[in-house]
Amino acid sequence: MSWQWFHRLGSPRWFYHNSARWLFWLCPIAAAVLLGGLVWGLAIAPEDAKQGNSFRIIYLHVPASFLALAGYYIMAIAGAVGLIWKMKLSYMVMKSAAPIGAALTFIALFSGAIWGKPTWGTYWVWDARITSMLILLFLYLGVMALQYAYHSVDAASKAGAILGLVGTVNIPIIYKSVDWWYTLHQPATIKFTSAPSMHADMFQPLLVMIVGFYLFYAVALILHTRSEILRRERKTSWVRELLNEKNQSKADKQAGKS
Amino acid sequence: MKMYFANFQELLTMDGHGIYVWSTVIVTLLVMTWLLVAPILSRRTLLKEVARDILRERARQTSPTNSQGDS
Repeated sequence: MSWQWFHRLGSPRWFYHNSARWLFWLCPIAAAVLLGGLVWGLAIAPEDAKQGNSFRIIYLHVPASFLALAGYYIMAIAGAVGLIWKMKLSYMVMKSAAPIGAALTFIALFSGAIWGKPTWGTYWVWDARITSMLILLFLYLGVMALQYAYHSVDAASKAGAILGLVGTVNIPIIYKSVDWWYTLHQPATIKFTSAPSMHADMFQPLLVMIVGFYLFYAVALILHTRSEILRRERKTSWVRELLNEKNQSKADKQAGKS
Repeated sequence: MKMYFANFQELLTMDGHGIYVWSTVIVTLLVMTWLLVAPILSRRTLLKEVARDILRERARQTSPTNSQGDS
């Protein structure tokens, strides 16, 4: 079995060169899917019989929550790969995933709070699901803070990876919280084990939005990782070559114009 | 594919729920935009810094008298 792909994947230089091409395809697709799903969910889908139009917040709340959780897996696994194989790129991905996950968790909490007002009559309750999501936000913020708490990049990466791994305990608690403590938050709308508790007209745009958020996440993660690669590798010869090439092509263009 | 609401006025108000739905949409889109703009800006700053470093080194290489004068 050839491990060449694995080593190539671990090379920041290889990633930086190729991710530009991935973004070229991903960006327009992500934008189109998100826009389509949003228009479908907000303007075309029928309103909920019980909750009225406030239920439309689901089209942002559920996808953001999905990615807040999936993003945590990505951050924790990237940290673990960094710890095990000492892969530099993996740590960069971990560091990049933290602010994106924190922002998505914030969206999940904020949209949930706004949705709570017309539905439950309050913005906030110390419900198990909501509290465990708040802990998720603090875990993300903790990993972010650790990246700046050390002088050595290596020590910061290791500390972040360990906190990320320890924090995975919280993930099954979040998933199960609506079943274990039935308080205010409604049970999951989408389950892998049973049919969705939603009419197809409402469910289809939700699926589109979830796909859209996954695509958006990929774009955001690639962008953050690219800038992190530049930050850590700016003293290396390949970054300098890259800039020289850029300047050369710019100069060529200007020469062509005049 | 037809709009659920009779007109755009209704789409905005959503029977009184418009304020909740649209404020969520706006905040979410702002946060998502920030997630994309922040790395693009920091990448641009970094590229400028590297370019400046290269120029500085080149200047040092081409005029060795300068560095001798300093010491």
